Amino acid sequence: MIQIEFKNVTKEYDGRKALDKADVCVNNGEFVFLVGPSGAGKSTIVKLLIREELPDSGKILFNEENILEIEPEDLHQLRRKIGVVFQDYKLLDSKTVFENVAIALEVVKSSKQEIKEIVPNVLNMVGLSKEGKKYPYQLSGGEKQRVSIARALAHEPDVLIADEPTGMIDPKSSNEVVKILQKINSLGTTVIMATHDETIVNKAKKRVIRIENGKITSDKKGGKYAD
Amino acid sequence: MRIKLFKRRKEDKLHDASNMLVMTIAFLVLGLFISVVTLTQTALRYLENQAQITIFFQDDFVEENILSLKQNLENDVRVQEVKYVSKEDAFKIFTEMNKDEKALLESVTASILPASLEVKVKNIVDLSQLSEEFSSFVGVEEVRYFKDVIETFRFWSSTAYIVGFVLVGIFLLVSYSVVVSTIRSRIHMQGPELEIMRLVGASKDYLRAPFVRKGLLYGLVSSTIASSVYVLAFTVSFVSGLLTKDLAFGFIHSVSVNPIIFSVCLAIILILSGGLLGYLGSTIALKKYLKF
Repeated sequence: MIQIEFKNVTKEYDGRKALDKADVCVNNGEFVFLVGPSGAGKSTIVKLLIREELPDSGKILFNEENILEIEPEDLHQLRRKIGVVFQDYKLLDSKTVFENVAIALEVVKSSKQEIKEIVPNVLNMVGLSKEGKKYPYQLSGGEKQRVSIARALAHEPDVLIADEPTGMIDPKSSNEVVKILQKINSLGTTVIMATHDETIVNKAKKRVIRIENGKITSDKKGGKYAD
Repeated sequence: MRIKLFKRRKEDKLHDASNMLVMTIAFLVLGLFISVVTLTQTALRYLENQAQITIFFQDDFVEENILSLKQNLENDVRVQEVKYVSKEDAFKIFTEMNKDEKALLESVTASILPASLEVKVKNIVDLSQLSEEFSSFVGVEEVRYFKDVIETFRFWSSTAYIVGFVLVGIFLLVSYSVVVSTIRSRIHMQGPELEIMRLVGASKDYLRAPFVRKGLLYGLVSSTIASSVYVLAFTVSFVSGLLTKDLAFGFIHSVSVNPIIFSVCLAIILILSGGLLGYLGSTIALKKYLKF
């Protein structure tokens, strides 16, 4: 079943087309790599999907709902269904690992009891069950990214989008992050990962959508980075 | 990192305290203005109650005519009270006032003092008109009233209202700016946190609530401090006997209240204003600076 659909979507920044009449579909439970050089339009797709940006033209459907028609007051409901992992982690230095993950639950007004149950579970899932009391500055890049994944997972999103999650970490940690994302996908969550890490893409053998100059140049299942 | 956080929290508290101090001053000024209005209104009302015209009659104008005029005046809707002061009464008053000046008393007899009517009016504005009407009456020697005292007092109290009003406006504007700039700097300071919360699904109301609470806290705490000062000041003044009379209730003419009740009303007004100012300041700042 189609979960995400971009229909003829165009987005321009200062006259430069970041996305040019893009048509993309992602099904429920898929693992998709968005690949391409820097500035190709990968992050634009991520931003459009969580409606951080609006397209200049076209339609974006999520679970058959046109997300462009969602009122600004109701945007949080869309964002609760889509977990996002950022290249720069976006963790709060003043909060512990536990608190950073708990934020995702606090904003949806989960009870303290729910937070106490869910946070250790998701930290366990990303292999950080013992790091809850640490602050981000006490963690490695790979660990920070795993905290970011745990936070994105906390309210059980339908889709997990990772925007260059391995961009700032070493290869070993990158592999761990991808393994975690694959594990999450195996549990039924759709995962979309924007990356230009060729090794990871080639090893994973998942669907690969290639974007260049805002255009989708290839879309192959079990594809490779260079296909 | 932890030391940095601790320092930031300490700075936050100092910032909060200084902002609340500025707002407390603003509410003290507002309270002072309301108190000045009330006290001057009370004084003005007292003076107005004392205000009267005195109609002095010529010696050949007989008492019978004066009493007839008194009766007519008593039927006049503008008049509250009329008192006849005969030549003899005037002499008694004169003697009482000058009891230590024997030489003067020896040279004065009741016959040279004029009989008069003391006329109190319901509304002070009628004094001038009544005075003019009686000046031209047959038998009237002179009409006197303390026009200048009341008008001077009116002038100065009006000036005080205008100055007070301007001061209150300035301080409320300063308070509003304090709330807005505090909320703005907090929005900037918490920018990354707000962005993350937004991206993980926080609703607009959820993001706005702490800022509105902050604005309300500023307004309510500072206005409560100012209110306490006034409740204490009026209570002490009343208990110590400095304020003995009931106070005029704003510009409402016929209502007077006990000073302690007045201070409680003032406290309610200040606290409501504080809450409103804090709420409006923070919501307007959020509308302007929280661009999500």
